[in-house]
Amino acid sequence: MSFRRMLVANRGEIAARVLRTCRALGIETVQAVSEADVLSVPARLADHVVVIGPGPSGASYLDVDAVVNAAVASGADALHPGYGFLSENADLARACGRHGVTFVGPSVAVLEAVGDKLSARDHAVAAGLPVVPGGQAGTPADAFEVAERVGYPLLVKAVGGGGGRGMKRVDAQEDLQRNLELAMAEADAAFGDPRVYIERYVVSGRHIEVQVLGDGDQVIHLGDRDCSVQRRYQKLFEEAPAPHLDDDIRSSLRAAATALAGQLRYRGLGTVEFLFDRARREFYFLEMNARIQVEHPVTEMVTGLDLVAEQIRVAEGHPLRLTQDDISVTGHALECRVNAEDWQADFRPSPGTVTAAAFPVGDHVRVDTHIQSDAAVPPYYDSLLAKVIVHGSNRDEAMAQMAHALRRCRIEGVATTLDLHRRLVEDDEMCLGGVDTMFFTRFLTRQESLSDATVGA
Amino acid sequence: MANIELVDVSLRDGNQSLWGATGLRTAQILQIAPAMDRVGFRALDYTSSTHMGVAVRNFREDPWERIRLTRQAMPNTALQFIGTGFRFISWETAHPDFMQLVYDRLVVNGIDRVVVLDPMHDIDAAVESARMLRRAGVREIIGALVYTISEVHDDAFYARLAQQMAACPDIDRVYVKDPAGLLTPERARSLLRAVRAALAGKPLELHSHCTIGLSPITYTVAADLVDVLQVACGSLSNGSSLPDAQRVVANLRELGHTVDVDDRLLGKVADYFNRLAEAESLPSGTPQEYDTSFLRHQVAGGVLSTTRRQLRELDMEPRFDAVMEEVGQVRAELGYPIMVTPFPQMVCSQALFNVIGTERYANVPDQVIRYVLGNFGRPAGPIDPDVRDRILGLPRARELAGEPPAPTPAELRKQFGSLISDEELLLRATMPADQVDAMIASGPAQRHYTPEAQQVLRLVDHLAARQDLAELTVEKPGLSITARYRKESVVDA
Repeated sequence: MSFRRMLVANRGEIAARVLRTCRALGIETVQAVSEADVLSVPARLADHVVVIGPGPSGASYLDVDAVVNAAVASGADALHPGYGFLSENADLARACGRHGVTFVGPSVAVLEAVGDKLSARDHAVAAGLPVVPGGQAGTPADAFEVAERVGYPLLVKAVGGGGGRGMKRVDAQEDLQRNLELAMAEADAAFGDPRVYIERYVVSGRHIEVQVLGDGDQVIHLGDRDCSVQRRYQKLFEEAPAPHLDDDIRSSLRAAATALAGQLRYRGLGTVEFLFDRARREFYFLEMNARIQVEHPVTEMVTGLDLVAEQIRVAEGHPLRLTQDDISVTGHALECRVNAEDWQADFRPSPGTVTAAAFPVGDHVRVDTHIQSDAAVPPYYDSLLAKVIVHGSNRDEAMAQMAHALRRCRIEGVATTLDLHRRLVEDDEMCLGGVDTMFFTRFLTRQESLSDATVGA
Repeated sequence: MANIELVDVSLRDGNQSLWGATGLRTAQILQIAPAMDRVGFRALDYTSSTHMGVAVRNFREDPWERIRLTRQAMPNTALQFIGTGFRFISWETAHPDFMQLVYDRLVVNGIDRVVVLDPMHDIDAAVESARMLRRAGVREIIGALVYTISEVHDDAFYARLAQQMAACPDIDRVYVKDPAGLLTPERARSLLRAVRAALAGKPLELHSHCTIGLSPITYTVAADLVDVLQVACGSLSNGSSLPDAQRVVANLRELGHTVDVDDRLLGKVADYFNRLAEAESLPSGTPQEYDTSFLRHQVAGGVLSTTRRQLRELDMEPRFDAVMEEVGQVRAELGYPIMVTPFPQMVCSQALFNVIGTERYANVPDQVIRYVLGNFGRPAGPIDPDVRDRILGLPRARELAGEPPAPTPAELRKQFGSLISDEELLLRATMPADQVDAMIASGPAQRHYTPEAQQVLRLVDHLAARQDLAELTVEKPGLSITARYRKESVVDA
């Protein structure tokens, strides 16, 4: 099968990115847009445009019926969901199947298997992946037994709770009894269930993920990425490969990722996310994302592949054209996510109109964006404006290239995180590499004290 | 009514016929490769040893890299290499082990279909080539029946060859190759029927150039008798190239045949070559008028455009018609070699020397001497005795007669060392060292090409090369662009 017309069911930079590959492959494109995106760059890049609903995403990009109807009405034989929105939605995949439209993503069964955290964890355990050690305890005696196995520091959480409520960190055995009693009493009072879950606490962890690609039969990995620079679980800066990682750890991570994808008979592009415990030099499975990732360009830069093209190819039912031996990682790639946010005002979103925009071009620079002068940044969607990506022969060179590239970016009319990134790539700890997920908080504190000092001076 | 498949020849024969093989660089191929891969072509006539040599000589691009990158960009469509079984890039006859190495490396780099073509129609040589190709792992091997008009080349002659190819387990299919575009609809009907009957079920393809405007019509008749028609796209079709794919598809469907290709995409591919031709000031193929005199010299499209280019480089383009006239004469004197590589080049070079020199056969290229010495096999007809004596009487003929046999890969390894790849060895063995050195020094080829950007890029290159300009300003109402010459480190500030 060869797709002839693709509906792009997403917006922003990823829509433009998918359109670019479709155009290179010669696939006719239909861009699904909300009323707020009618004049967007993706709408102008596509061969055809279908309006699927009003601005708010619940009535457009998140409306399964509207999206499927757009595909059917426009005669598309395939649908690319991008990331976010309905990209991992089994109902959309199912509806596509019913209407004879190929969903560019994994099977419904796989979407359901990895979409649910508990089921994903079960699959990971079955595939032999390490997960954060832990266990349930109904009595203090049980709790001590679990704690013995988990080690310290650990977290005690209410089984009935969620969102961090009733969570206690315990650093040593002598503190367990007291915290346990407290936690169980609180849990009983708050949720009517005194049971607790005890889990290993990772003091300093890195977010490392492995890109996988499967055809439903064979699975390969396309190397790893480090996405530890995060603010409230939102990634801001990503790189490939993960820096300062011992070879044995790196190969274990990659093997674990392909083991899980193999167990799932995975077809499509996916990412297996891990938490790497810096002190213990161990890693644990977090979750699997069954779609293309925002940060896929860093993998493309170091492998020389077009991941969207590979994704489309397996969705068309072709077997993998690459074997693991064909994959080699060359140099180092970095990506900065430039958002329309006022980072000095607690990252407040800054929708509006971009009055002027200019981005660097060059052999080792790539900017994935849907922003140009006069582009609208509607208030309804996430604030990603552009991804600035560089590729160097090593990390130091890439960092210097990123600093250079960021200096050449200009976005006016809305507040952006450009300046934050400029400072980020000058930061000593960042330049050293291999930071943990708490790094960004430390970095921000340093920035604040720096600007305080400037104000004081 | 039949289901007809298409093989597209734009990148190789189209480029060779209309642009003297010098039209397409790696980036220009890669830019359109993913789309071409999805049109639904059965295969692409992709490269030849001539094209590989041109990549090195004219563009300093690694032809092996080009094959690998194209294969990456088009995983679905077979990529064809065409060559005669006894030479690679250089015009000299190569050692069989050397040819085996060529085939091995072609397959490893991404070629999966190869034409078996013996210009003397020596079936034993063709079978031997096919065996070597199969050993190298070539997936589809296609035997060529080179069409020409002569007393010996009747339908029975081709049917006999077809039967022998049908019996060869290493030849998977056969095509009638009409390099000079001589096949009329009438002859196609009888020839293709005879060949088809002899093939015992092996698929048959037709490849006929548009040189005198016959093939677009011949194809409508041939559709009932072949499985595949070979075509070209946009600017790379017509002229002395092959029939235009879009026109062929439309005609076939009009006649009730089915052709399963993506029409929109086919249009995009044609459009790309049109835009490229315009951006690079390359000629577009146009529908041809019938020309009876052509039946005399029978020179294929690629050789015509190469000869014209050579004359232009010598500032002697007005002598083109005289050279063509001489080609007919030389061909007769050399015993009517069939006009397929390397013989048209050989005949044309000799004709060129005869026209621009002071005396006919005063200057004779080595390959003509080798031909007369019998190095390529037995000529189809007798060589004119006077010409033969004159050529064999040259001191160079005695040197060539005493030539040592072609070196084996092992001997070449001794000469060029063990540190280079097989691919580089094959280039170094067949090309001047300075050309290969320059290619390697140039590094990897560009990967992207946008026709519309070329003018601006040429302007920028030109300006960047000027040392006497500090500033350039372009102004018109509502627009002012100023470019200043500064050192890179300063731009950053």
